[in-house]
Amino acid sequence: MIYLDSAATSFQKPAAVQAAVSRAMEELSSPGRGGYDAAMKAAETALTCRTELQELFHAGDPERVAFTMNATHGLNIAIKSLVPSGGSAVVSGYEHNAVTRPLAALGAKVTVASGCLFHPEQILDSFDRAVRPGLDAVICNHVSNVFGFTLPIEQIAELCRERKVPLIIDASQSAGILPLNFEALGAAFLAMPGHKGLYGPQGTGVLICGRDVPVRTLLEGGTGSLSMQQEMPDFLPDRLEAGTHNMPGIAGLLEGVRFVRRRGLASICWEERTLAAMAAEGLRQLRGVQVFAQNDLYAQTGVLSFLPDSMDAEKMGAALSERNIAVRTGLHCAPLAHKSAGTLKTGTVRVSVSVFNTKKEIFQFVDTVEEILRTA
Amino acid sequence: MEHYLLIARSVTQAQRMERALSRAGLRGTVSRTPMELTEGKGCTYAVKIAPSAVEAALQITNQDGLQPVQIFFAGPNGYQEVAL
Repeated sequence: MIYLDSAATSFQKPAAVQAAVSRAMEELSSPGRGGYDAAMKAAETALTCRTELQELFHAGDPERVAFTMNATHGLNIAIKSLVPSGGSAVVSGYEHNAVTRPLAALGAKVTVASGCLFHPEQILDSFDRAVRPGLDAVICNHVSNVFGFTLPIEQIAELCRERKVPLIIDASQSAGILPLNFEALGAAFLAMPGHKGLYGPQGTGVLICGRDVPVRTLLEGGTGSLSMQQEMPDFLPDRLEAGTHNMPGIAGLLEGVRFVRRRGLASICWEERTLAAMAAEGLRQLRGVQVFAQNDLYAQTGVLSFLPDSMDAEKMGAALSERNIAVRTGLHCAPLAHKSAGTLKTGTVRVSVSVFNTKKEIFQFVDTVEEILRTA
Repeated sequence: MEHYLLIARSVTQAQRMERALSRAGLRGTVSRTPMELTEGKGCTYAVKIAPSAVEAALQITNQDGLQPVQIFFAGPNGYQEVAL
């Protein structure tokens, strides 16, 4: 299979990740649940993983690195910590349902800071107009999961700092690919999956919490600390980690993060951008294919969308699947992003790469799209 | 054997304390806190440290923002809380 759906999950993982998951199932029990060797080893692994993440994202303190099930889980905690029922928030026009659905559930008054695809200056202008003191939160993804469009997160963070509005960053498509300095950005929360650019197993996620930011629990239960007290501990990470940890996941995530740090963000980003640029260039040569990609390699990550004029996006996805090429089609759980790009009715075919893809695979993918269109 | 127990708020903090001490060349051991010391709180973890190292240990943990929530001295007459 040629796997081009790494924006959903990086299916191919480093060998060390798989080995760590397997080893964890044999050696690690549950952190904070005992003083015996397997429990203490589990706690050691969890702390080492938090520390690696703290260093990668400049989180300041490993105890502010909380494990979640996925980015959606972290975003729900972040949003529900800051936005009360009927509260107010500003979001970009490229958000995922992981952001818009929790806001809808809260009945929040949401302002969309809109702007054309690949025009970060328009997005920034919109945020400049919309962000006012007193707003409950600004929520913005770093990179669009549909188009790979990199939003001007540093400038948006600066606006939020100036106007004293808490910022939640969704790093689902940038964690492990683009640098993020949490302390310098001054964000309230940074949410990310562990299973995409960080190469951990599915079922892992991370929420980095700002200093002195109020944190609301989504789950209450055992934490292995302050057991006599019926309220959840007021300190992190325990406050956000009720119940048994996903130790195989955390052990795998630790090796994924180590893999990313060894390879280097700049190298990973370059490899992925190069492959995406090759795919974009190849698709542009095909007649009747609309390619949503930047000419500037630096404004996009390893994610791009395309749409054939003469074929439904789902049919193209099915035809590629029959030929053993995995892509994602439709709305990618991001109707707002498609609305902003004018593709809400059609959806798109999304191609997203990881460091495990090769140039040969990209050539084969483009040739296959050409063959599908020619023979349709 | 006489020792001190630096009670941490969580296993994460206990292990951070142990690592901070280790970086400074001091030996601390993380263990569960005896129930008789956790009345009113429930389960906690503690870092066990030799009396000769306790002063330096507290300096290091405080520097790193890892203040113990309580300190106990374990002597011939059992545990005795020490003022922070």
